[in-house]
Amino acid sequence: MTENVYVVSAAMIPFGKHRTSSYVGLAVSPLIDALQSAGVQKSDVDAVYVGHAYGGMMTGQRITKEIGLGTVPTVNIDNACSGGATALHEAWMAIGQGLIDVAVVIGVEKLTQFGGGTLPLSPEDREVKQGIVMPAVYAMRATRYLHDTEATVEDLALVSVKARRHGALNPFAQFRKEVTVEEVLAARSIADPLTLLMCCPTGDGAAVIVLASERARNRLGTPRGMRVAASVLHSGQVAEGYRDMTKPEITYESAHDAYAQAGIGPGELDMIETHDAFSIAELVYYEALGLTEKQSAVALLRDGRTTFGGDVVVNPSGGLLAKGHPVGASGVAQVAEAFWQLTGQAGARQVTDARWALTHVTGGGTAGLDHGACTIHIFEAA
Amino acid sequence: MTVQPEAQISAPIADLESDSLLGDFPEGPRLVGTLCAQCGQTMIGTRVACSTCVSRDVSRIALPATGVLYSFTRLHVGGTDVRPIGYVDLDDGVRTLADLREDGAPLQPDVRVALGVDGDGWFFAPAADD
Repeated sequence: MTENVYVVSAAMIPFGKHRTSSYVGLAVSPLIDALQSAGVQKSDVDAVYVGHAYGGMMTGQRITKEIGLGTVPTVNIDNACSGGATALHEAWMAIGQGLIDVAVVIGVEKLTQFGGGTLPLSPEDREVKQGIVMPAVYAMRATRYLHDTEATVEDLALVSVKARRHGALNPFAQFRKEVTVEEVLAARSIADPLTLLMCCPTGDGAAVIVLASERARNRLGTPRGMRVAASVLHSGQVAEGYRDMTKPEITYESAHDAYAQAGIGPGELDMIETHDAFSIAELVYYEALGLTEKQSAVALLRDGRTTFGGDVVVNPSGGLLAKGHPVGASGVAQVAEAFWQLTGQAGARQVTDARWALTHVTGGGTAGLDHGACTIHIFEAA
Repeated sequence: MTVQPEAQISAPIADLESDSLLGDFPEGPRLVGTLCAQCGQTMIGTRVACSTCVSRDVSRIALPATGVLYSFTRLHVGGTDVRPIGYVDLDDGVRTLADLREDGAPLQPDVRVALGVDGDGWFFAPAADD
């Protein structure tokens, strides 16, 4: 990349069940708020990138037309849960290569349209035809992790307890009530050993960020923001046979590339927003993101090293477990959280002196792949 | 302008004609696999190209009827029914998702399992010799 790229504003609606809002209704307010807080006029915007999975045709154009933001390229991107972060990656590439100066990135999803239950997956996929659903994938990961390590089902519950404790501090979170280990374990079973409270909720959401080149940032005079220190997008590689489900290699490899690009190691991070769609995910991602050795994640959790006051605060927003996971919106919402943390706007959940942040989101249940996509971003306060 | 050969016509694959993984073979009902003659990769299902070397020199084979359970879960469907499913690593190294039955030995990672057939359906259950 030849140009530095900056996030200059962020906006989002609280995640939740917004049954009376369409995709447009979800996204227009944060779109206007993000533009205004960045001091960006419509005429400043060179391109719009929109991540979603279930929005249908022209999701982005349906949103932007409401404020007359047309003419410029609008790119709709589906990469399952990685859609929003993939949209950011594409915007970063365009600005970084000097092709454009200002880009709007929208992540939006309305999951209440499905009336509950597990995410609809592609009926063309071999394992989907056999009945696989995302909770089952993570449940099998959990079963194997509990078999291979000293982790217990109480540790899986402890992840949810931490997420809910963080989410209680976040006005954007879908769930704002703390829970106990006992309550998590007593919740109804979804896919053993995962209970309802170990699974992210169904909900709706939208988040918007504005990206700018250094030149545009200086012109706009935005006072605070963060530099995109790394932007990495990987796709899954097929395995016809054995795959270690406790070692999600797409995240290991993406993290390796992201740290190399940013020129830092995991020890320098102040906060992480990771893809904790199910509680087991957070444990395996501690390892994949290099916070600890393989099979040793529970020590970080039990010792409080990944909550406020610890080495690095993982999911200060409450993560997907508490904040919610409207899939296409989640990757952008993670970046919004990083923006507020690195610019001191995170209120009661502010991570002290936060300078470096990492966001991580995987996407897609597809036969033969660990995940379909993985996107990792690293940001530095600037 | 130099005249080039006519453009090759690519053909669609009729992969919707049969989506059953269970097939009839001389040794009895077995899961259907595909063997690549070029690199020797074995794959689950009916495939038209090798996912390793991209060769189209592939053939339909019967997969082993036994393997090892890698991991599993019991899906609580609709809050009442319980459906055990898991990943089985067959004896030739191919992994398949499978419905499980647990009326024999208890399910746990690394137990040996064997294919069972019930009408048009199939499942794996802990192997009798374990």
